[in-house]
Amino acid sequence: MRLTRWGALGASLLVLLSACSTGGGTKPTVKIGSDGFYEAKLMAEIYAQALEAKGYTVDRTAIGIGARKVSAPALESGQFDLKPEYIGSGLAFYEPGKQTGDPAANAAELQTVLTGKGGGITVLAYSPAADQNAFVVTKATADKDHLAKMSDLTAMASDLKIGVATDCPTNPVCGKALKDSYGIDVANATLLSACDTPMVQALQGGTIDVGELCSTQPDILVNGWVILEDDKHTQPADNLAPLVRNSLLTALGGDKDAFEKILNDVSAALDTATLTDLGKQVSVDKKDIAAVAKAWLQSKGLVT
Amino acid sequence: MELLSAVTTWFADPAHWAGPNGVPYRLAQHVGISLASVGIAGAIALPLGLYVGHTGRGQAVAINLANVGRAIPSLAAIALVVPFTQMLDPQLGFFLYPTLIAMIVLAIPPILVNAYAGVAEVDRDLVESARGMGMTEGQILRRVEIPLAVPVIVGGIRSASVQVIATATLGAIYGLGALGGFIVEGVAQRDDGRLFAGVALVALLALGAEGGLGLLQRRLSWSRNP
Repeated sequence: MRLTRWGALGASLLVLLSACSTGGGTKPTVKIGSDGFYEAKLMAEIYAQALEAKGYTVDRTAIGIGARKVSAPALESGQFDLKPEYIGSGLAFYEPGKQTGDPAANAAELQTVLTGKGGGITVLAYSPAADQNAFVVTKATADKDHLAKMSDLTAMASDLKIGVATDCPTNPVCGKALKDSYGIDVANATLLSACDTPMVQALQGGTIDVGELCSTQPDILVNGWVILEDDKHTQPADNLAPLVRNSLLTALGGDKDAFEKILNDVSAALDTATLTDLGKQVSVDKKDIAAVAKAWLQSKGLVT
Repeated sequence: MELLSAVTTWFADPAHWAGPNGVPYRLAQHVGISLASVGIAGAIALPLGLYVGHTGRGQAVAINLANVGRAIPSLAAIALVVPFTQMLDPQLGFFLYPTLIAMIVLAIPPILVNAYAGVAEVDRDLVESARGMGMTEGQILRRVEIPLAVPVIVGGIRSASVQVIATATLGAIYGLGALGGFIVEGVAQRDDGRLFAGVALVALLALGAEGGLGLLQRRLSWSRNP
């Protein structure tokens, strides 16, 4: 009799425990971190709010803690669990030169690297949104010379005034790739800091016809410029993807799939043009990051 | 030691001595823009400084103008004028004029202040004696004040030159090239040989200007005070 009583107690405890692990009350707190610049902080905030809307508690302490040199070891050592990452640059941090123009390959390679880091880190589905090298022309130039993609430059490569990153001549994915894929010789190109003010000013004032910028740079939107499609996929694909520590995924237990779906739905709903617009609202219009994130998530029905 | 060998290897490569990105061309660019900016700054600041020093009029304006010039960071000056100079010429208005203007702004204060102070500090008894001898104001300036102030005036040109040579490296951020090109590219391309070759060339040029003008300064002092 005594044995059955203990058995009953054990059984009821088990029921209680399993009820807890799937119930709302014991979801682990998700510690989110990111690099320090506005776009990384914005992405972290977007993922944070999407999780909060589904009942998760989020700790934002590590959002914006610093560049990859700081944030990568912090993620590995478990100081936070979730980080929005650029799959090309993130891969290059561990294996310089391994990044390619194919986002799927970059994500797979990054997953291979991160499986062995900090007890395992998972690369969730990458977003169509990418912040990567982009060759940009003004609307006037695009209309005049009928430019839409990089291949369109090949015919006019010899008298093209192009501004490229200062490291381009020695960087295989820049100088060599432009020469091999599009016939553009950077020997006489104007060398300027890419994604930076001098490049923007050079393009604005007509000093150069084509400038190397970053695809989500607000200047592109503000000036109505045109990104030439990299039709031969020469530039490293830097799509955004959430990195999640396996320790958190394990702690989620049965909620793991639902948790991943929340993040993957957010990533899937975003694209480069949208991310550029959201980034412009933050960096140019000086809107609050949380408000920008919330407005977009609401517009997509991802939060109410 | 590793750095030293990287720099000597870099200098030994003949490819680094040829073309518009080679040492001779960029050195000439650097000397050219430095001479031009100090020359133009001198043409503006010397007459102004001599006038203020001689007459004692407009001291406050001159000093404040000089201090404003000193307070503007050269990189900000370059970035600010780019959109305007680009309207004049989309090429030179981007690569050359902004840096030239910023270097003129940088060079004016030391030249102006030294010209003013050099003349103002000439013994007033000497000036009064000259006036008593019947010299005109122009004669006093030319024959008494300027000869006595010359070491101080050259001192202003000397410090302006050294500052300009060191700071004109910023022009590379706007595609000017010159010796700053080696530094900017060296950093971006993680090429220490290139980077420190640029640093060494700038330092040598600055030291050369400092030494040469210092020598001139001393010669002029001795000749007046044997």
